[in-house]
Amino acid sequence: MTTYVGTRAPRVDSVGKVTGGAVYGVDVALPGMLHGAVLRSPHPHARIVSIDTSAAVAAPGVEIVVTGRDFPFLFGAAIKDQPFLAIDRVRYVGEPVVAVAAATEAQAQEALDLIRVDYEEMPAVVDMRAALDSDAPLVHPDLHTYKRGPSDIVPHTNINTIYHHERGDVEAGLAAADLVVEGEYSAHAISHVALEVHAAIAQYDSGSGGYTLWVSTDRPFLLRNELAAGLGVDSSRVRLIVAQVGGSFGAKGVPVAEAIAVALARHSAGRPVKVEFTREEDLVASQLRVPAIMKLKTGVNRDGLMIARSADVLWDSGAYTAYTVGVAIRGSQTIIGPYRIPDLKILSRQVYTNKSITGSYRGYGTTQVTWACETQMDEIAVELGIDPVEIRLMNGYEEGDAYINGQIMHSVGLRETIERSAVEIGWGSVEREPAPNLRRGKGIATMIKPTMTPSSSNVVINLEQDGRATVVCAAPEIGSGQDTVLAQIAADAIGVPLSDVLVPATDTLLSPYNGPVASSRTTYHMGNAILSAGAEIREQVLSLAGEVLEVEPETLELRDGVISDLDGKTLITLKDLLAKFYGEYYSITAGARFSSANSPLLKADPGEEWMSSIFWMLCTQAAEIEVDTETGVIRVVKIAAAADVGKAINPMTVEQQIEGGVVMGLSNGILESFSYDNGRIENGNLADYKVATIMDTPEIVPIIVESVHAEAPYGAKGVGEPAAAATAPAIGNALYDAIGVRIRDLPITPEKVLSALGEIPASE
Amino acid sequence: MTIDLSITINDVPRLITADLRSTLLEVLREQMLLTGTKEGCGVGECGTCVVLADGKPVTSCLVLAGDADGATIETVEGLAADGELTQVQKAFVKTGAFQCGFCTPAMVLATTAIFRENDQPDIEDVKKALGGILCRCGAYPKILEAVIEVKGEGT
Amino acid sequence: MKRLREFDYFEPTSLDEAIRILVAAPSDARVIAGGTDLVVDMKTGRMRPSTVVNLKRIPDLSGIEDANGATRIGALTKVDVVEKSAFVVERHPALAQAASILASPLVRALATIGGNIGRASPASDLGPALIVSSAVATIHGVDGSRDVLVEDLYTGPGTTSLVRSDIITALTLPARQPGFGSAHVKLGKRGSGTDIALAGVSASLVIADGGEIIDCRIALASLGPIPFRAVESEALLRSEILTEVLLEAAAAAASGEAKPIGDMRASAAYRTRLARVLTLRALHGAVESAGVEVAA
Repeated sequence: MTTYVGTRAPRVDSVGKVTGGAVYGVDVALPGMLHGAVLRSPHPHARIVSIDTSAAVAAPGVEIVVTGRDFPFLFGAAIKDQPFLAIDRVRYVGEPVVAVAAATEAQAQEALDLIRVDYEEMPAVVDMRAALDSDAPLVHPDLHTYKRGPSDIVPHTNINTIYHHERGDVEAGLAAADLVVEGEYSAHAISHVALEVHAAIAQYDSGSGGYTLWVSTDRPFLLRNELAAGLGVDSSRVRLIVAQVGGSFGAKGVPVAEAIAVALARHSAGRPVKVEFTREEDLVASQLRVPAIMKLKTGVNRDGLMIARSADVLWDSGAYTAYTVGVAIRGSQTIIGPYRIPDLKILSRQVYTNKSITGSYRGYGTTQVTWACETQMDEIAVELGIDPVEIRLMNGYEEGDAYINGQIMHSVGLRETIERSAVEIGWGSVEREPAPNLRRGKGIATMIKPTMTPSSSNVVINLEQDGRATVVCAAPEIGSGQDTVLAQIAADAIGVPLSDVLVPATDTLLSPYNGPVASSRTTYHMGNAILSAGAEIREQVLSLAGEVLEVEPETLELRDGVISDLDGKTLITLKDLLAKFYGEYYSITAGARFSSANSPLLKADPGEEWMSSIFWMLCTQAAEIEVDTETGVIRVVKIAAAADVGKAINPMTVEQQIEGGVVMGLSNGILESFSYDNGRIENGNLADYKVATIMDTPEIVPIIVESVHAEAPYGAKGVGEPAAAATAPAIGNALYDAIGVRIRDLPITPEKVLSALGEIPASE
Repeated sequence: MTIDLSITINDVPRLITADLRSTLLEVLREQMLLTGTKEGCGVGECGTCVVLADGKPVTSCLVLAGDADGATIETVEGLAADGELTQVQKAFVKTGAFQCGFCTPAMVLATTAIFRENDQPDIEDVKKALGGILCRCGAYPKILEAVIEVKGEGT
Repeated sequence: MKRLREFDYFEPTSLDEAIRILVAAPSDARVIAGGTDLVVDMKTGRMRPSTVVNLKRIPDLSGIEDANGATRIGALTKVDVVEKSAFVVERHPALAQAASILASPLVRALATIGGNIGRASPASDLGPALIVSSAVATIHGVDGSRDVLVEDLYTGPGTTSLVRSDIITALTLPARQPGFGSAHVKLGKRGSGTDIALAGVSASLVIADGGEIIDCRIALASLGPIPFRAVESEALLRSEILTEVLLEAAAAAASGEAKPIGDMRASAAYRTRLARVLTLRALHGAVESAGVEVAA
């Protein structure tokens, strides 16, 4: 019985956000703070011959100048390949080379002009296919010597990740199929464009050899551990105090501004140093979505049943691996889509190039592979003359099906997402053309995504004397509303009013461990931890009440801050109870850890359990578009987006994520792209990198599907990522429906539309 | 070099000695410590730096300090001055018209300016008026719901 | 944040004072009007003026008024005021339309019409609209004041015939002839239309009662190094009877006169295509604004 779970509770961070009171990483200022600026490489690949910082050191206001030689540490989430500041060579345009800290930011920026760096340019590899050539320049010739996790590399090449998976016999399957459809698809680099840029303040304490950072990040403990590992100090020596996060979308996990701030703080005699990126630095020198070239070959029977699929995916990590290795592995698995295909082969390779670093981007590879999978699905449907909705229903996973590693799938609301989004878009009905040059079409696309598994979340809940419950957990609010959802779960788990629950800002010194606020995992994992800890608090309270009221605790209920008997008669309020007896019991505290590690749901074929997911997210989108055949411009009229979230703890925040994901997916798919000139991004600014505005937003109908997950808090899974993935292919499929044009390379642009129509020559 | 400015900020006349080469955004955030107004790009392309200058939403990152002399500026902090959220702010809360909140001060101010002109604005005109403020979280649909909520309540 | 460099700053109270300061200042001195181009350039480092002269205290540089049927617009008039001015909307729809899709409303509240002309971007939104309205710029300089047709001001991408001590003070759009209509059409990256023009076209027509095109102007932006008139296209229309076929021919001719570059925003082929499509749309808009129907 719930009071808050399932309701459209207003967000707990509302007041701060509508009044401007919320403090973000960029807003933090400390006494005595210095300001940093970074001199960056103008070359995609070069040896650093010499650096002359003498004029900068002497410049007005300048306190510290640091080069890679002064701070030769390496970090990296999967492969330790990335220096804090370039040491002997630079590997991408924009790589940090020299950091300066001064009394004002203006002084620091001006001092950069006084630094002389002599480079010896080296041949660069700026195309991911070229990076595979046997005579390609090597971005990391010593790759085989780097400390790394368990994934595979190909030594003495640019291949930093190689992975393959097979099931059944794909050659036989393809040979036996009635039809084989083959295609090559590509997804391009895009930026998260979180409105708050990367920023961090670092302070070094020479006594303890530790650092304190004020940051906005979505993964405080992972970031802390990565920095500590890079610096060679114990992880608890690095403390992260996390502010509100002005958007992440996967951007704010890698040590970007943090790395520079730490390098400067080490030499600043204890003064805090703030590094705030400009938007241009944020676009070019943080991380981008991992570009992918995806070859897909699918064998189907005449009736539409999929028999076999062979996928060959090439990913581009840019100059350092950062968070790309997981993308290349996990992301490539979901190129199979949410479909039962008995014979499979996946080969995934990722290469270094001398370009901006890529990494985790809302969906962790799914926005790229879903483009390929769902575009080809429609090509198959067209060739067979089968309705695109029907063919997906025919092949789509149902409860109890086996995943590509044998895991039995549970909580699979795919069918309902397909059916309801199709109905909402008016599938099968044709709109009257409003003008001879305006053509309408409808398209559908679906997607599947796992969550990082296994992972764990810890929480400590303190119940204060005045009835306030503080939920101490490292789950920074990145905008997805998860602090509100966690508060709702806590309120019902304990039995207190929502307004009495506080989810405070994260401080890694005080909070127990949590995995990242990423992979759409927070509601499930932290929610389950809160359920446990909350139940324990409730038990303690009822036990105390039982003593006071001289009844058995089992005859009592705690709900919304009121202790009543089982008939609902109020006996005493929680506040009165605690006020009366707080002297005897000095605190009511409970902690809990939740891990998905040993769940029976993860059981799979031997050796392949690591590919299982504790829950699966399914999302389908149906799009209606209008294309102007004179200009090639696509106007998206409507998107019906259905997501299987297990259970909506807060339908309003679920809608926010679905709508937000659609806007982002639309923007990614048809508006955004980077233009490169020999590895250098030419349009690294918001005047020429265009992001969707309210004027570009179609009618969006979010549809919540609840398949209810057995081990989830109230059945709730996750929703943050899925809605960003199906939008581009739904639009692409609608474009085909409208004018018979098939685009395989993202982004979908007016020029590509016109050249596919033969109206203008194709450009580079 | 410094410049002396007379600017009315949130109804309070101020005498400010500012760095001559700073922008209005810098003066507000760093000298007045009004950090509700944000920077998103610094070149007028994202709208997160919106303040109301003589009632009109403008990109404060493009206004030189000297140019702001004599102006009447409203920032988001001036709206709920006595602690009570305004009608627009309440509508944003009710409909969930924000996610990470970074663009929210700008969206709230610009929406406030719209309603000061016209208490029943046309939705298409509202979209044009808000078209210069980016919301990467994609809260646009719920921002429009908030506008409809304010319209529904009448005056 | 990107910080600005130091500069000397002046707020003269008369044109003469402004010109004196500009003459005496180093050659990189710049006038600031709305700041929406200059401050951006200062932040990106495209310009690092040692001296900035703010015109805001000089009287009579702002405002829109009737001048015996002509429309006089002070150079410091904000673009959003131009956009909404009853005079402009009614008399010169091309200018009102061009103003309405310049950047965003936030920028339009700061940007000035004079600043847009002075910036002389090849992608200028207001330039082509002023050209088809036969606008004249009044310029004050060391030798006094002079009038120059806006279409004669542009000399190259980002440059005009103005010297650095010249100040544009007003734009005057002559009284319209009966049967006048104008329109502006632009395509940017996003559907909202407020981005840098990939291509922009303004058209104006003077159509007699019988359907004869007495005068015609077509101006193209982002389709060459400067905003320019498609004179061959205009010649096809002048003195002819208005028909749809004729308009299509003029649009095709304009496409031939366009000399676009290919850059990261658009290819030359796409821009050439847009020249034809947008010219036809602008001509249709001009016809509609003249209150006339087109025969097939």
